[in-house]
Amino acid sequence: MNIIFETYFAVFAIFASLLITEIMGSIVLLLFWKQANSKVLEYIVPIWEVTGTFAAFLVVMGDFAYPSLLVPIASIFAPLLTVFLILFVARNASLAFAEFIIKRKWLDKVKLYKVYAVSTLVLGFTVLILLSALVSGAGVNFAMGTFSLGAWVSSPGSLLFVVGTLLIGIGFAPVFFSLNPMKNIVLPLTAAGVGFSVLAYYLYSPSFVSALMFIPAALILLVGVLFVISKKTAAIVSNKAIFITFLSVIIFSLQFLVYPSAIGGAVSVDAVTTSGPMTTAYLSITAVGGTILAIMLGFYMNIAMRSKNTTPKSQLK
Amino acid sequence: MALFDRFLFAFTIASHIILVSLSIAVIVIISIAEFLSLRRSDRYYSALSKRLSKAFVVIFGIGTASGVVMAVELVTLFPTFMTLVSETGAISIFYTEIFAFFLETIALVMYIYYADYFSKYTHWVLSIIIAAGAMLSAVLITMLNAWMNTPDGFNESAFVQSGKVTGLNIWAPFVTTSTLAEVAHVLPTVLFAGVMLVGGYFAWRNIKSKDIEEKKMLAKGLQIAASLGIITIVLAILSGINEITTLLKLQPLKYSAIELNPTPGTNLPEKLFGSLKNGKFYGGIPIPHLQSFLVQIETGIKTLPGLSQFPSSNWPPLYVHTTFDIMFIGGFALGFCFLAYFIDWVVLRRKPHESKLFLYSWIPLAFVALVIMELGWVTDEVGRQPWIVYNVMTSQQAANYSSSFLIPGILIIAFYFILLPLTFYFFSRVFNSSSMSEEEEHKQKSAISMGVNY
Repeated sequence: MNIIFETYFAVFAIFASLLITEIMGSIVLLLFWKQANSKVLEYIVPIWEVTGTFAAFLVVMGDFAYPSLLVPIASIFAPLLTVFLILFVARNASLAFAEFIIKRKWLDKVKLYKVYAVSTLVLGFTVLILLSALVSGAGVNFAMGTFSLGAWVSSPGSLLFVVGTLLIGIGFAPVFFSLNPMKNIVLPLTAAGVGFSVLAYYLYSPSFVSALMFIPAALILLVGVLFVISKKTAAIVSNKAIFITFLSVIIFSLQFLVYPSAIGGAVSVDAVTTSGPMTTAYLSITAVGGTILAIMLGFYMNIAMRSKNTTPKSQLK
Repeated sequence: MALFDRFLFAFTIASHIILVSLSIAVIVIISIAEFLSLRRSDRYYSALSKRLSKAFVVIFGIGTASGVVMAVELVTLFPTFMTLVSETGAISIFYTEIFAFFLETIALVMYIYYADYFSKYTHWVLSIIIAAGAMLSAVLITMLNAWMNTPDGFNESAFVQSGKVTGLNIWAPFVTTSTLAEVAHVLPTVLFAGVMLVGGYFAWRNIKSKDIEEKKMLAKGLQIAASLGIITIVLAILSGINEITTLLKLQPLKYSAIELNPTPGTNLPEKLFGSLKNGKFYGGIPIPHLQSFLVQIETGIKTLPGLSQFPSSNWPPLYVHTTFDIMFIGGFALGFCFLAYFIDWVVLRRKPHESKLFLYSWIPLAFVALVIMELGWVTDEVGRQPWIVYNVMTSQQAANYSSSFLIPGILIIAFYFILLPLTFYFFSRVFNSSSMSEEEEHKQKSAISMGVNY
């Protein structure tokens, strides 16, 4: 067991879960603004800053955990990372501008929130391309240190991977945002998404489709089933904290796709992981910082929960 | 490509530090205003802190994104440098900074969106946590920069010879020989520049506004900004003098370039501006003996270093002498302005923050403060060249030579040119989205007042 990889992947799973919930929200905002904007924004508006901080966390943690990967990663993914950066800034900017803006001439909240939704959606595509390349090596020429989008598209499995993930995301959206009228699409879309994703992994490499694949697939379908079978189970699975935890577990269970080897077998993770005294530094800072972070997140969740169950003090006066 | 990499990173960081200084200043002003509103039950301070809080979200949101841009650029533009950082304890500083950033973020989310669920004083404590997180982030990044100036925590000479990191001491980079001096100078300087910018904005609004209530609120904001300005400029000047003597001892080549000393010697003049031609100083104003005199008072050192002691291939660009002089003179000029303000306010007991002269003069002085902060950073970074890590790795060795970053890099620059003015525009628009009376009538409804089903 590689403890550094495990902690890194755990943080990745949390970041990916937060990002996926934002992508789900973005899809709903773009398609059903009138019906669902309040439900989506009441979640996204406070959480987006935390998602952004997790992105920074993941970058710096990656620098720490895999020093010998930095040169090849810089060379291979520089253009893709730049697109990610521009979209990330656009996402933050539009949301920060939208929050407290008052309509003047043509510019209003709705337009800015839609810019946020489009930026987040395209950012999600960029992350999916990056992830599928890190898993399968599609489009990557490791020896030359290059990435070709054309080669990635033509690689069997790439587009299926994106479509499969998107279908799961769209299928999960009614669950996460408690959009009961859209209840009927949950199971068909998540089932189709799982099917496409499994096929994509099989096309990347038949070795990916093993018994281990059953765990995330079953967990994804379980979310859909729990949402449709009864109001009680739907309420549990729609709880934001439970859903994000569950989604993080699902993503965490996919670690076999990049461990023990990543980028289509080109990189042995153990060989590129930091070692010696640096492991001590990594683990001690992660333990102390992680504990503080967990306490703060717990406090935040507690306040957020109280905000649902109690009346604000200002309204009591 | 290495030149472009350096330019792109310099451009990004030059933009980023404006947002950082503004963030730190705004949250400190918010915290002070909120405290004063609680202690004095003052509605002007209350309105000021509420309106600044909303505008702070804009700066914070863009600052966060800009910080991620820098973190990724460090890897993509200087992968060899980041590999060295990651193989030594220096990465621990960078990593710890993320937790400080989390402290700031989560406290901010609660401060802004769940304000109604805290008692007044607990809410104010949250603003202190945000400010502490923001300042701790700045301190930690400065510590990383200090490590680049005076690397520690591994066997440097062995690394230069073999390219392999050995002799690791993972905690040593947190406290290098230059860390304390650098942190002590950067923190007040960054806060000062931010306070000047916010004060400049208040002054501009005060001149434009016709609303008496609004003017009173802005005058109180200016009082806070001016008080912070006085404290931070004094700290910045004192720590700046200490920083110069630290430089003399630890980076004599950088010192020689900044002071434009062609040869080592005693009784050296202080040279204002000018440049070197064939080892001779020309075009500036030499003040005889002053440099040696000042150094001797401060450190007791009589013989000062000169450029001729070092191979010319290791010299930094000598324009750092000019950037340093502008910073030095500008800093002292601002110091005198604040001294005049202090005398007028505290000794003569007048109200300078309500005078037209004060309002009109603050606006250009805010730009001077910004220029000084940027030039201070240029002097530090360019003065270390050709090294990215002093005497260990050159910027050329650290850079990414892949041409794949050229077009995306140009896109990033173009994007920032649009983003920065937009950020200031939205900051202003959000700050002015409600008047004093509206602020009192409609208590700010949080976007999540209905509650999220956590």
